[in-house]
Amino acid sequence: MISAIKVFRSTTVVPYDNIAMETFLTMHVQEGECILYLWQNQDTVVIGRNQNAWEECRVQRFRENRGHLARRLSGGGAVYHDLGNLNFTFASRRADHDPARQSEVILRAVRKLGIPAERTGRNDMEAGGRKFSGNAFYEHRGCCCHHGTLMVHVNLDRMEEALTVSVAKLRSRGVQSVRARVVNLRSFRPDLEIETLEACLTEAFGEVYGLKPEKLDSARLDGTEISLESARMASEEWILGRRIPFSAVMEERFPWGGVRLELTVRDGKVEEALCWSDAMNEQIIPAFGQALTGCPYDGEMLARRILDKTACLDPGMAAGVSRMILNQTDGADP
Amino acid sequence: MHFPKELKYTKTHEWVRFTDENTAYIGITDYAQDQLGDLVFVNLPAPGDALTAGESFADVESVKAVSDVNAPVTGTVEEVNEELADAPEKMNESPYDAWFVLASGITGTDELMDADAYEAMIASEA
Repeated sequence: MISAIKVFRSTTVVPYDNIAMETFLTMHVQEGECILYLWQNQDTVVIGRNQNAWEECRVQRFRENRGHLARRLSGGGAVYHDLGNLNFTFASRRADHDPARQSEVILRAVRKLGIPAERTGRNDMEAGGRKFSGNAFYEHRGCCCHHGTLMVHVNLDRMEEALTVSVAKLRSRGVQSVRARVVNLRSFRPDLEIETLEACLTEAFGEVYGLKPEKLDSARLDGTEISLESARMASEEWILGRRIPFSAVMEERFPWGGVRLELTVRDGKVEEALCWSDAMNEQIIPAFGQALTGCPYDGEMLARRILDKTACLDPGMAAGVSRMILNQTDGADP
Repeated sequence: MHFPKELKYTKTHEWVRFTDENTAYIGITDYAQDQLGDLVFVNLPAPGDALTAGESFADVESVKAVSDVNAPVTGTVEEVNEELADAPEKMNESPYDAWFVLASGITGTDELMDADAYEAMIASEA
Protein backbone atom coordinates (compact mmCIF):
# COMPACT_ATOMS: atom_id res chain seq x y z
CA MET A 1 0.00 0.00 0.00
CA ILE A 2 1.48 3.32 -1.05
CA SER A 3 1.23 5.89 1.74
CA ALA A 4 3.77 8.47 0.57
CA ILE A 5 4.63 9.80 -2.87
CA LYS A 6 7.85 11.71 -3.49
CA VAL A 7 9.10 13.74 -6.44
CA PHE A 8 12.72 14.41 -7.24
CA ARG A 9 14.07 16.49 -10.13
CA SER A 10 17.60 15.89 -11.38
CA THR A 11 19.95 18.84 -11.66
CA THR A 12 22.41 17.25 -14.11
CA VAL A 13 22.19 16.35 -17.80
CA VAL A 14 25.04 13.80 -17.69
CA PRO A 15 23.56 10.34 -18.30
CA TYR A 16 25.91 8.40 -16.00
CA ASP A 17 25.06 10.64 -13.04
CA ASN A 18 21.35 10.39 -13.80
CA ILE A 19 21.38 6.61 -14.10
CA ALA A 20 23.40 6.36 -10.88
CA MET A 21 20.87 8.56 -9.07
CA GLU A 22 18.03 6.45 -10.46
CA THR A 23 19.70 3.27 -9.19
CA PHE A 24 20.23 4.83 -5.77
CA LEU A 25 16.58 5.89 -5.50
CA THR A 26 15.41 2.46 -6.69
CA MET A 27 17.59 0.53 -4.24
CA HIS A 28 16.72 2.80 -1.29
CA VAL A 29 13.00 3.39 -1.78
CA GLN A 30 11.07 2.61 1.38
CA GLU A 31 8.12 0.30 1.91
CA GLY A 32 4.87 2.08 1.14
CA GLU A 33 6.65 4.77 -0.85
CA CYS A 34 6.67 5.58 -4.56
CA ILE A 35 9.32 7.95 -5.91
CA LEU A 36 8.88 9.80 -9.19
CA TYR A 37 12.27 10.90 -10.52
CA LEU A 38 12.40 13.29 -13.48
CA TRP A 39 15.60 13.71 -15.45
CA GLN A 40 17.08 14.74 -18.80
CA ASN A 41 20.21 13.76 -20.68
CA GLN A 42 22.13 15.83 -23.16
CA ASP A 43 22.67 14.17 -26.57
CA THR A 44 22.78 10.54 -25.43
CA VAL A 45 22.19 7.12 -26.90
CA VAL A 46 21.04 4.76 -24.15
CA ILE A 47 21.22 1.09 -24.98
CA GLY A 48 19.42 -1.72 -23.18
CA ARG A 49 21.18 -3.79 -20.55
CA ASN A 50 21.82 -6.70 -22.85
CA GLN A 51 22.53 -4.98 -26.14
CA ASN A 52 25.69 -4.79 -28.19
CA ALA A 53 26.68 -1.12 -28.45
CA TRP A 54 28.04 -1.50 -31.99
CA GLU A 55 24.81 -3.03 -33.22
CA GLU A 56 22.86 0.04 -32.08
CA CYS A 57 25.10 3.02 -32.73
CA ARG A 58 28.22 4.01 -34.68
CA VAL A 59 30.06 4.29 -31.40
CA GLN A 60 33.15 6.20 -32.42
CA ARG A 61 31.46 8.56 -34.85
CA PHE A 62 28.67 9.41 -32.40
CA ARG A 63 31.17 10.12 -29.63
CA GLU A 64 33.31 12.26 -31.91
CA ASN A 65 30.24 14.44 -32.37
CA ARG A 66 30.19 14.83 -28.59
CA GLY A 67 27.39 12.35 -27.96
CA HIS A 68 27.28 10.25 -24.79
CA LEU A 69 26.80 6.52 -25.02
CA ALA A 70 25.25 4.90 -21.95
CA ARG A 71 23.92 1.50 -20.95
CA ARG A 72 20.95 1.27 -18.62
CA LEU A 73 20.03 -1.47 -16.16
CA SER A 74 16.68 -2.32 -17.72
CA GLY A 75 16.14 -4.37 -20.83
CA GLY A 76 14.86 -3.52 -24.28
CA GLY A 77 16.21 -1.48 -27.15
CA ALA A 78 18.27 1.63 -27.85
CA VAL A 79 16.78 5.10 -27.42
CA TYR A 80 18.02 8.62 -28.06
CA HIS A 81 17.77 11.45 -25.49
CA ASP A 82 18.38 15.17 -25.81
CA LEU A 83 17.03 18.14 -23.86
CA GLY A 84 13.79 17.88 -25.85
CA ASN A 85 13.12 14.62 -24.02
CA LEU A 86 12.03 14.15 -20.40
CA ASN A 87 12.69 10.86 -18.62
CA PHE A 88 10.58 9.57 -15.77
CA THR A 89 11.33 6.86 -13.24
CA PHE A 90 8.97 5.23 -10.75
CA ALA A 91 10.86 3.54 -7.93
CA SER A 92 9.05 1.27 -5.49
CA ARG A 93 9.34 -2.00 -3.58
CA ARG A 94 8.01 -5.12 -5.27
CA ALA A 95 4.81 -5.18 -3.19
CA ASP A 96 4.07 -1.56 -4.18
CA HIS A 97 5.11 -1.89 -7.82
CA ASP A 98 2.16 -1.34 -10.17
CA PRO A 99 3.06 -0.66 -13.81
CA ALA A 100 -0.55 -0.06 -14.85
CA ARG A 101 -1.09 2.57 -12.16
CA GLN A 102 2.28 4.18 -12.84
CA SER A 103 1.48 4.34 -16.57
CA GLU A 104 -1.85 5.93 -15.66
CA VAL A 105 0.09 8.83 -14.10
CA ILE A 106 1.88 9.43 -17.41
CA LEU A 107 -1.26 9.09 -19.53
CA ARG A 108 -3.23 11.38 -17.24
CA ALA A 109 -0.51 14.03 -17.34
CA VAL A 110 -0.33 13.97 -21.14
CA ARG A 111 -4.13 14.03 -21.48
CA LYS A 112 -4.21 17.13 -19.26
CA LEU A 113 -2.43 18.81 -22.16
CA GLY A 114 -5.27 17.83 -24.48
CA ILE A 115 -3.23 15.09 -26.14
CA PRO A 116 -5.02 11.74 -26.67
CA ALA A 117 -2.45 9.39 -25.13
CA GLU A 118 -2.89 5.65 -24.83
CA ARG A 119 -0.89 2.67 -23.65
CA THR A 120 -0.11 0.24 -26.43
CA GLY A 121 1.53 -3.14 -26.31
CA ARG A 122 3.36 -3.72 -23.10
CA ASN A 123 5.98 -1.04 -23.10
CA ASP A 124 4.88 1.90 -25.24
CA MET A 125 2.65 4.95 -25.06
CA GLU A 126 1.27 6.47 -28.22
CA ALA A 127 -0.65 9.46 -29.48
CA GLY A 128 -2.23 9.50 -32.92
CA GLY A 129 -0.82 6.03 -33.59
CA ARG A 130 2.80 7.07 -32.99
CA LYS A 131 5.05 6.41 -30.02
CA PHE A 132 6.07 9.26 -27.71
CA SER A 133 7.18 7.12 -24.77
CA GLY A 134 9.08 3.84 -24.51
CA ASN A 135 9.08 2.10 -21.13
CA ALA A 136 11.32 -0.50 -19.53
CA PHE A 137 11.56 -2.28 -16.20
CA TYR A 138 13.98 -3.98 -13.86
CA GLU A 139 13.82 -5.58 -10.47
CA HIS A 140 16.79 -6.12 -8.16
CA ARG A 141 16.66 -7.39 -4.57
CA GLY A 142 12.94 -6.73 -4.34
CA CYS A 143 13.24 -3.12 -5.56
CA CYS A 144 11.51 -2.19 -8.80
CA CYS A 145 12.24 0.43 -11.41
CA HIS A 146 9.80 1.49 -14.15
CA HIS A 147 11.19 4.17 -16.41
CA GLY A 148 10.56 5.71 -19.77
CA THR A 149 11.12 8.52 -22.22
CA LEU A 150 8.73 11.37 -23.03
CA MET A 151 9.45 13.02 -26.36
CA VAL A 152 8.51 16.69 -26.26
CA HIS A 153 10.73 18.33 -28.88
CA VAL A 154 13.53 15.86 -29.61
CA ASN A 155 15.75 16.64 -32.60
CA LEU A 156 14.55 13.84 -34.89
CA ASP A 157 17.35 14.26 -37.44
CA ARG A 158 19.99 13.87 -34.77
CA MET A 159 18.07 10.92 -33.35
CA GLU A 160 18.02 9.22 -36.75
CA GLU A 161 21.71 9.88 -37.22
CA ALA A 162 22.60 8.69 -33.72
CA LEU A 163 20.75 5.40 -34.10
CA THR A 164 22.07 4.64 -37.57
CA VAL A 165 24.36 1.64 -37.53
CA SER A 166 27.52 0.72 -39.38
CA VAL A 167 27.81 -1.00 -42.75
CA ALA A 168 29.66 -3.95 -41.18
CA LYS A 169 27.20 -6.75 -40.54
CA LEU A 170 27.17 -7.48 -36.82
CA ARG A 171 25.79 -10.60 -35.21
CA SER A 172 25.46 -11.32 -31.49
CA ARG A 173 23.17 -12.95 -28.99
CA GLY A 174 22.38 -9.44 -27.69
CA VAL A 175 18.82 -8.12 -27.57
CA GLN A 176 17.63 -6.51 -30.80
CA SER A 177 15.99 -3.08 -30.98
CA VAL A 178 12.58 -2.65 -32.55
CA ARG A 179 12.15 0.40 -34.77
CA ALA A 180 9.02 2.43 -34.08
CA ARG A 181 7.33 5.45 -35.63
CA VAL A 182 7.83 8.19 -33.08
CA VAL A 183 6.24 11.57 -32.46
CA ASN A 184 7.08 14.64 -30.39
CA LEU A 185 4.31 15.89 -28.09
CA ARG A 186 4.88 19.33 -29.61
CA SER A 187 3.28 17.99 -32.80
CA PHE A 188 0.03 18.16 -30.80
CA ARG A 189 0.84 21.16 -28.58
CA PRO A 190 3.38 23.43 -30.35
CA ASP A 191 3.81 25.61 -27.24
CA LEU A 192 4.60 22.72 -24.90
CA GLU A 193 7.58 23.22 -22.58
CA ILE A 194 9.33 20.54 -20.52
CA GLU A 195 8.44 22.45 -17.32
CA THR A 196 4.74 22.36 -18.20
CA LEU A 197 4.86 18.60 -18.66
CA GLU A 198 6.71 18.24 -15.36
CA ALA A 199 4.01 20.19 -13.54
CA CYS A 200 1.30 18.01 -15.13
CA LEU A 201 3.17 14.85 -14.10
CA THR A 202 3.42 15.93 -10.47
CA GLU A 203 -0.26 16.87 -10.44
CA ALA A 204 -1.33 13.59 -12.07
CA PHE A 205 0.90 11.64 -9.66
CA GLY A 206 -1.06 13.11 -6.73
CA GLU A 207 -4.44 12.49 -8.37
CA VAL A 208 -3.80 8.85 -9.33
CA TYR A 209 -2.51 7.94 -5.84
CA GLY A 210 -4.87 10.23 -3.93
CA LEU A 211 -1.92 11.67 -2.01
CA LYS A 212 -0.05 14.93 -1.91
CA PRO A 213 3.30 14.69 -3.73
CA GLU A 214 6.19 15.78 -1.51
CA LYS A 215 9.70 16.75 -2.49
CA LEU A 216 12.18 13.99 -1.74
CA ASP A 217 14.45 15.00 1.14
CA SER A 218 17.93 15.27 -0.38
CA ALA A 219 19.48 14.40 3.01
CA ARG A 220 18.60 10.78 2.09
CA LEU A 221 21.07 10.80 -0.79
CA ASP A 222 24.46 9.20 -0.22
CA GLY A 223 26.91 11.10 -2.40
CA THR A 224 29.65 8.49 -2.12
CA GLU A 225 27.44 5.60 -3.17
CA ILE A 226 26.01 7.62 -6.06
CA SER A 227 29.38 8.73 -7.40
CA LEU A 228 30.74 5.17 -7.24
CA GLU A 229 27.76 3.97 -9.28
CA SER A 230 28.19 6.89 -11.67
CA ALA A 231 31.82 5.90 -12.29
CA ARG A 232 30.71 2.33 -12.99
CA MET A 233 28.06 3.55 -15.44
CA ALA A 234 30.62 5.74 -17.23
CA SER A 235 33.25 3.00 -17.50
CA GLU A 236 34.06 1.51 -20.90
CA GLU A 237 33.84 -1.87 -19.28
CA TRP A 238 30.15 -1.38 -18.51
CA ILE A 239 29.22 0.52 -21.69
CA LEU A 240 31.08 -1.54 -24.26
CA GLY A 241 32.66 -4.48 -22.56
CA ARG A 242 29.85 -6.54 -21.12
CA ARG A 243 30.06 -10.21 -21.83
CA ILE A 244 28.23 -10.12 -25.13
CA PRO A 245 30.52 -11.48 -27.81
CA PHE A 246 29.67 -10.57 -31.38
CA SER A 247 30.95 -11.05 -34.88
CA ALA A 248 31.49 -8.31 -37.45
CA VAL A 249 31.69 -9.04 -41.17
CA MET A 250 33.07 -6.55 -43.68
CA GLU A 251 33.24 -7.12 -47.40
CA GLU A 252 34.40 -5.18 -50.42
CA ARG A 253 35.46 -5.81 -54.01
CA PHE A 254 38.71 -4.16 -55.04
CA PRO A 255 40.27 -4.04 -58.54
CA TRP A 256 42.69 -6.71 -57.33
CA GLY A 257 40.01 -9.01 -55.81
CA GLY A 258 37.27 -9.37 -53.23
CA VAL A 259 37.94 -9.31 -49.47
CA ARG A 260 35.81 -10.68 -46.66
CA LEU A 261 36.94 -9.97 -43.12
CA GLU A 262 35.27 -11.72 -40.20
CA LEU A 263 36.07 -10.53 -36.68
CA THR A 264 35.04 -12.19 -33.45
CA VAL A 265 34.84 -9.55 -30.73
CA ARG A 266 34.72 -10.28 -27.01
CA ASP A 267 34.79 -7.65 -24.25
CA GLY A 268 35.38 -5.00 -26.92
CA LYS A 269 38.54 -6.66 -28.31
CA VAL A 270 39.12 -8.67 -31.48
CA GLU A 271 39.60 -12.25 -30.33
CA GLU A 272 39.89 -13.78 -33.77
CA ALA A 273 40.14 -12.26 -37.24
CA LEU A 274 39.78 -14.27 -40.42
CA CYS A 275 40.28 -12.98 -43.93
CA TRP A 276 39.20 -14.52 -47.22
CA SER A 277 40.04 -13.29 -50.68
CA ASP A 278 40.31 -14.42 -54.29
CA ALA A 279 43.27 -12.08 -54.72
CA MET A 280 46.53 -13.50 -56.04
CA ASN A 281 48.68 -12.28 -53.16
CA GLU A 282 48.89 -15.29 -50.85
CA GLN A 283 50.98 -13.68 -48.17
CA ILE A 284 49.02 -10.57 -47.31
CA ILE A 285 45.55 -12.16 -46.94
CA PRO A 286 46.25 -14.10 -43.71
CA ALA A 287 48.39 -11.15 -42.56
CA PHE A 288 45.27 -8.93 -42.59
CA GLY A 289 43.64 -11.27 -40.10
CA GLN A 290 46.74 -11.62 -37.93
CA ALA A 291 47.20 -7.84 -37.80
CA LEU A 292 43.82 -7.35 -36.17
CA THR A 293 43.92 -10.02 -33.46
CA GLY A 294 43.95 -8.42 -30.01
CA CYS A 295 43.05 -4.94 -31.29
CA PRO A 296 40.16 -3.01 -29.64
CA TYR A 297 37.06 -2.92 -31.88
CA ASP A 298 37.48 0.67 -33.00
CA GLY A 299 37.48 1.66 -36.66
CA GLU A 300 40.51 3.92 -36.52
CA MET A 301 42.62 1.57 -34.45
CA LEU A 302 41.80 -1.39 -36.69
CA ALA A 303 42.55 0.64 -39.82
CA ARG A 304 45.88 1.81 -38.42
CA ARG A 305 46.87 -1.76 -37.48
CA ILE A 306 46.39 -2.86 -41.08
CA LEU A 307 48.65 -0.06 -42.36
CA ASP A 308 51.30 -0.60 -39.68
CA LYS A 309 51.53 -4.36 -40.09
CA THR A 310 50.75 -5.12 -43.73
CA ALA A 311 51.73 -2.06 -45.81
CA CYS A 312 55.23 -3.53 -46.10
CA LEU A 313 53.75 -6.50 -48.00
CA ASP A 314 51.62 -4.48 -50.44
CA PRO A 315 50.94 -0.80 -49.69
CA GLY A 316 48.05 -0.54 -52.19
CA MET A 317 46.14 -3.54 -50.86
CA ALA A 318 46.79 -2.51 -47.26
CA ALA A 319 45.46 0.99 -47.94
CA GLY A 320 42.33 -0.47 -49.57
CA VAL A 321 41.53 -2.81 -46.68
CA SER A 322 42.33 -0.10 -44.15
CA ARG A 323 39.86 2.25 -45.84
CA MET A 324 37.24 -0.50 -46.05
CA ILE A 325 37.44 -1.01 -42.28
CA LEU A 326 37.19 2.71 -41.57
CA ASN A 327 34.20 3.11 -43.86
CA GLN A 328 32.32 0.07 -42.67
CA THR A 329 32.79 0.41 -38.93
CA ASP A 330 32.23 4.02 -37.96
CA GLY A 331 33.40 6.45 -40.53
CA ALA A 332 31.20 6.89 -43.55
CA ASP A 333 27.50 7.41 -44.08
CA PRO A 334 25.78 4.23 -45.11
CA MET B 1 2.01 -25.98 -15.49
CA HIS B 2 3.95 -28.82 -13.91
CA PHE B 3 6.38 -29.37 -11.06
CA PRO B 4 8.40 -32.58 -11.26
CA LYS B 5 8.40 -34.52 -8.01
CA GLU B 6 12.12 -35.29 -8.07
CA LEU B 7 13.12 -31.59 -7.91
CA LYS B 8 13.43 -29.20 -4.96
CA TYR B 9 12.09 -25.63 -5.14
CA THR B 10 12.54 -22.17 -3.62
CA LYS B 11 10.15 -19.39 -2.63
CA THR B 12 11.67 -17.27 -5.40
CA HIS B 13 10.83 -19.88 -8.08
CA GLU B 14 14.10 -21.66 -8.78
CA TRP B 15 14.42 -25.44 -9.05
CA VAL B 16 17.27 -27.72 -7.95
CA ARG B 17 18.01 -31.19 -9.35
CA PHE B 18 20.49 -33.08 -7.17
CA THR B 19 22.77 -35.53 -8.98
CA ASP B 20 24.33 -36.53 -5.66
CA GLU B 21 24.25 -35.12 -2.14
CA ASN B 22 26.53 -32.15 -2.92
CA THR B 23 26.00 -31.52 -6.63
CA ALA B 24 22.97 -30.17 -8.45
CA TYR B 25 21.62 -28.49 -11.56
CA ILE B 26 19.79 -25.18 -11.05
CA GLY B 27 17.13 -23.45 -13.14
CA ILE B 28 13.88 -21.45 -12.99
CA THR B 29 10.45 -23.04 -12.64
CA ASP B 30 7.57 -23.32 -15.07
CA TYR B 31 5.72 -20.77 -12.92
CA ALA B 32 8.66 -18.34 -13.10
CA GLN B 33 8.93 -18.49 -16.89
CA ASP B 34 5.16 -18.04 -17.19
CA GLN B 35 5.25 -14.93 -14.98
CA LEU B 36 8.27 -13.45 -16.76
CA GLY B 37 6.94 -13.89 -20.30
CA ASP B 38 9.10 -14.48 -23.37
CA LEU B 39 12.74 -14.60 -22.33
CA VAL B 40 15.25 -12.93 -24.63
CA PHE B 41 18.53 -12.94 -22.71
CA VAL B 42 20.30 -14.55 -19.79
CA ASN B 43 23.45 -13.37 -17.97
CA LEU B 44 25.16 -16.39 -16.43
CA PRO B 45 27.98 -16.53 -13.87
CA ALA B 46 31.38 -18.07 -14.68
CA PRO B 47 32.73 -21.44 -13.55
CA GLY B 48 34.36 -21.07 -10.15
CA ASP B 49 32.00 -18.29 -9.00
CA ALA B 50 30.59 -18.68 -5.50
CA LEU B 51 26.85 -19.12 -4.97
CA THR B 52 25.15 -17.90 -1.79
CA ALA B 53 21.67 -19.19 -1.01
CA GLY B 54 19.11 -16.40 -1.45
CA GLU B 55 21.44 -14.06 -3.32
CA SER B 56 21.32 -13.17 -7.00
CA PHE B 57 23.69 -15.21 -9.19
CA ALA B 58 22.26 -14.54 -12.66
CA ASP B 59 19.71 -12.29 -14.33
CA VAL B 60 17.25 -12.75 -17.12
CA GLU B 61 15.64 -10.32 -19.53
CA SER B 62 12.12 -10.96 -20.76
CA VAL B 63 9.97 -8.79 -22.99
CA LYS B 64 8.64 -7.35 -19.70
CA ALA B 65 11.66 -6.71 -17.49
CA VAL B 66 15.13 -7.58 -16.27
CA SER B 67 14.96 -9.74 -13.12
CA ASP B 68 17.38 -11.41 -10.72
CA VAL B 69 17.67 -15.15 -10.40
CA ASN B 70 18.60 -16.15 -6.85
CA ALA B 71 20.87 -19.00 -5.90
CA PRO B 72 18.72 -21.67 -4.24
CA VAL B 73 21.74 -23.10 -2.41
CA THR B 74 25.26 -22.14 -1.34
CA GLY B 75 28.07 -23.70 -3.37
CA THR B 76 30.41 -23.21 -6.31
CA VAL B 77 29.62 -22.98 -10.04
CA GLU B 78 31.06 -26.12 -11.58
CA GLU B 79 29.67 -25.78 -15.09
CA VAL B 80 27.68 -23.14 -16.99
CA ASN B 81 25.08 -23.89 -19.67
CA GLU B 82 26.45 -21.78 -22.54
CA GLU B 83 23.83 -23.25 -24.88
CA LEU B 84 21.14 -21.55 -22.81
CA ALA B 85 22.80 -18.18 -23.45
CA ASP B 86 22.45 -18.86 -27.18
CA ALA B 87 18.84 -19.97 -26.89
CA PRO B 88 17.11 -18.19 -23.96
CA GLU B 89 13.69 -19.25 -25.31
CA LYS B 90 14.48 -22.73 -23.95
CA MET B 91 13.55 -21.36 -20.49
CA ASN B 92 10.01 -20.87 -21.80
CA GLU B 93 9.81 -24.03 -23.87
CA SER B 94 11.30 -26.48 -21.45
CA PRO B 95 12.10 -24.87 -18.09
CA TYR B 96 13.28 -28.05 -16.35
CA ASP B 97 15.79 -28.89 -19.10
CA ALA B 98 17.01 -25.30 -19.28
CA TRP B 99 19.56 -25.49 -16.46
CA PHE B 100 21.69 -22.41 -15.71
CA VAL B 101 24.58 -23.93 -13.79
CA LEU B 102 25.79 -27.15 -12.25
CA ALA B 103 26.76 -26.38 -8.64
CA SER B 104 29.09 -28.38 -6.43
CA GLY B 105 30.01 -28.34 -2.73
CA ILE B 106 26.42 -27.57 -1.85
CA THR B 107 25.26 -26.47 1.61
CA GLY B 108 22.36 -24.31 2.78
CA THR B 109 19.53 -26.55 1.64
CA ASP B 110 17.28 -25.93 4.67
CA GLU B 111 14.90 -23.62 2.87
CA LEU B 112 14.25 -25.89 -0.11
CA MET B 113 10.72 -27.22 -0.62
CA ASP B 114 9.45 -30.38 -2.26
CA ALA B 115 7.09 -30.21 -5.23
CA ASP B 116 3.92 -30.47 -3.14
CA ALA B 117 4.93 -27.64 -0.81
CA TYR B 118 5.96 -25.45 -3.76
CA GLU B 119 2.70 -26.09 -5.59
CA ALA B 120 0.74 -25.28 -2.43
CA MET B 121 2.68 -22.04 -2.05
CA ILE B 122 1.87 -20.96 -5.61
CA ALA B 123 -1.79 -21.86 -5.15
CA SER B 124 -1.96 -19.67 -2.03
CA GLU B 125 -0.28 -16.75 -3.86
CA ALA B 126 -2.68 -16.83 -6.80
